[in-house]
Amino acid sequence: MEQMDRTQPKDSPRVPVGTMGDGGTTYSGVNPNAVWLNSRGIWLSYVIAVTILHLILLSIPFLNVAQAWTLTNVVHNIGNYIFLHMLKGTPWETNWDQGKSRLLTHWEQIDFGEQFTTTRKFLLLAPVILFILASFYTKYDPLHFVVNLSTMLLVLIPKLPQLHGVRIFGINKY
Amino acid sequence: MVGGGKNTLSGSAPTANGHVKESNGFIPHSNGHVPHYKDDKIKKMSQESFEPVPLLVACLTYLGYGMLVLFGYFRDFLRKSGVETTHSTIERKKMRDFVPLYQSFESFYTRNLYTRIRDCWNRPICSVPSAEFDVSERVSNDGNWHLRLTGKSKRCVNLGSYNYLGFAEKSGPCADAAAGALQQYGAGVCSTRQELGNYSIHEELEQTTARFLRVEDAVTFGMGFATNSMNIPALMGGKGCLILSDELNHASLVLGARLCSTVIKVFKHNDIEDVERKLREAIINGQPRTHRAWRKILIIVEGIYSMEGSIIKLPDLIRLKKKYGAYLYLDEAHSIGALGETGRGATEYWGVDPRDVDIMMGTFTKSFGAAGGYIGGSKRLINHLRAYSHSTTYACSMSAPVAQQVITSMKIIMGEDGTNRGQLRIKQLAANSKYFRQRLVEMGFIVYGNDDSPIVPVLLYMPAKIAAFSRELYQQNVGVVVVGFPATPLVESRARFCLSAAHTREMLDKVLDAISDVGDRLQLKYSLNPPTKGVFAEECYRQVDCLSHEA
Repeated sequence: MEQMDRTQPKDSPRVPVGTMGDGGTTYSGVNPNAVWLNSRGIWLSYVIAVTILHLILLSIPFLNVAQAWTLTNVVHNIGNYIFLHMLKGTPWETNWDQGKSRLLTHWEQIDFGEQFTTTRKFLLLAPVILFILASFYTKYDPLHFVVNLSTMLLVLIPKLPQLHGVRIFGINKY
Repeated sequence: MVGGGKNTLSGSAPTANGHVKESNGFIPHSNGHVPHYKDDKIKKMSQESFEPVPLLVACLTYLGYGMLVLFGYFRDFLRKSGVETTHSTIERKKMRDFVPLYQSFESFYTRNLYTRIRDCWNRPICSVPSAEFDVSERVSNDGNWHLRLTGKSKRCVNLGSYNYLGFAEKSGPCADAAAGALQQYGAGVCSTRQELGNYSIHEELEQTTARFLRVEDAVTFGMGFATNSMNIPALMGGKGCLILSDELNHASLVLGARLCSTVIKVFKHNDIEDVERKLREAIINGQPRTHRAWRKILIIVEGIYSMEGSIIKLPDLIRLKKKYGAYLYLDEAHSIGALGETGRGATEYWGVDPRDVDIMMGTFTKSFGAAGGYIGGSKRLINHLRAYSHSTTYACSMSAPVAQQVITSMKIIMGEDGTNRGQLRIKQLAANSKYFRQRLVEMGFIVYGNDDSPIVPVLLYMPAKIAAFSRELYQQNVGVVVVGFPATPLVESRARFCLSAAHTREMLDKVLDAISDVGDRLQLKYSLNPPTKGVFAEECYRQVDCLSHEA
């Protein structure tokens, strides 16, 4: 069964891939994309990055608070979607897995496809928390609500385990 | 020994106040029996340190990589739109409508992160890599896409070569003997061991190796990587076998494991409890689907791990393997010649019987100044490997001068040449390693690994500091090896110093001053609990001075 004959460890981020001889990698065989989000300090860095984005948006003079919050939410969700669900493969060569990860998005590569891990739960919660904060700060205005909700759904639905590996209408398949 | 807040039998590193979170002193799976080790074994096991990354440094590292990625996308956009010239391979205009040959995203990392700092690696040298070497200078006009030799070279202290006992010399008894072997046997062999390529020097080499390792017999191969990748399939070829492999094993071991049709399970680095847990699970559940018993279980570990500088906990592993009936494969590529009182490797370091380790593998590349690898063990095992190994069947045997270099250096280490030069080298290496590491820790760097290992990794963490450290030290005539992602985990980029018996105290002091200066300028002294200065330095060299007076 696939569980047994992997050479990838399940729960440690301290895994090397290969030598940096030519900038590429050799066959020591673990996809760093699957484990780097488990590293120490990622959650804090993520929160800090979103905070910095929000502060930048708040400092634009012609945006009021509600618009700044909605924009933070939208930009965060679009970035989340592009990096986790649109870009496929890895930014380095994968000599060891015969191209299996080339067709997978980053979300599908996290933790080697195992569902309901801590990292996945964190990445699922982040847009939800941002949505709640944005709804509060926009005083539940209907237009802002529609925008925030639609971007949140855009980001939450691909993270469902039922949609693992699913490409609707063949978009983004290859 | 057991409690005291420091669980020395697992790999968990204590936090700043010595408290280890996941332990109450209980050792699982041993019926409450506390294994009785001599005191020095406990001391050895508690010498390893892997201080976790400070949180602020981790956040700044991610920020650094984030900026590099954003700028990478920006530069890629400029290249695509034609503003910037593209130096890497691109599709020809005629082939644009065909399915692309390369996925440009796969070379993103190489293009935008690695190439920018490419001058820190693969530096050509123009002398023998002993304690000092000549590094050729290179310049580039287009951001490291094309590097040009200037014709000049810098004499640098060599902290990058695996020259543990200093046998990488161009003159001396080893070189003379190798030249003699070249005259007698010729340069190459051009045949396999099983056909016409079995010379008397190969037999002598194998007997010397077996005597050195204190095992029954040994077989040698021309290439260290191939020793692992070609012999593990010969040992574990059948169905129903299981390999338990450490997560930080070298690529050759991983490749060898994958070339068999075995099930491979990976355990956490140097974590004996994890090994035991996986062994028990495997034995209880049996093979997948059929639940039959496993035919054999092999635990593959290394003596010293070259990226971490950690030493395998051998007595625990041997106890486990005897309890559960597994076999042990010990890859001593970095530990042979470097550990132990007389340089016999990890078994001597821990004081265990070499016959307890079923398969002792090692390479001649590191401590013997040659090339190739060996496997030592019982006569039955070696006879099997001589017949069934892919290397002895298909690969050319070791070249004679290389074999002679190994024989001569081994005899020097064993003291069979009548002098104590070998002992002196071993003591010098031990003194150098301890001194260097202690001084670095005192300066405030985060240093991984075991106090006794000659590999000293210093953590740099941030991507820009990888390049800055390498370049700054090169300016100060010190040649170091730096490693970053993806060879190491994302956050833990490091500079890896390899000590040698050929380094003198003066060289090391000069290097340490340069490292301290660069560390101050680059703010690399991250350690949150630096120890107080001690009189350690003089202690390290006391034994060496005694020996050199005798010699």
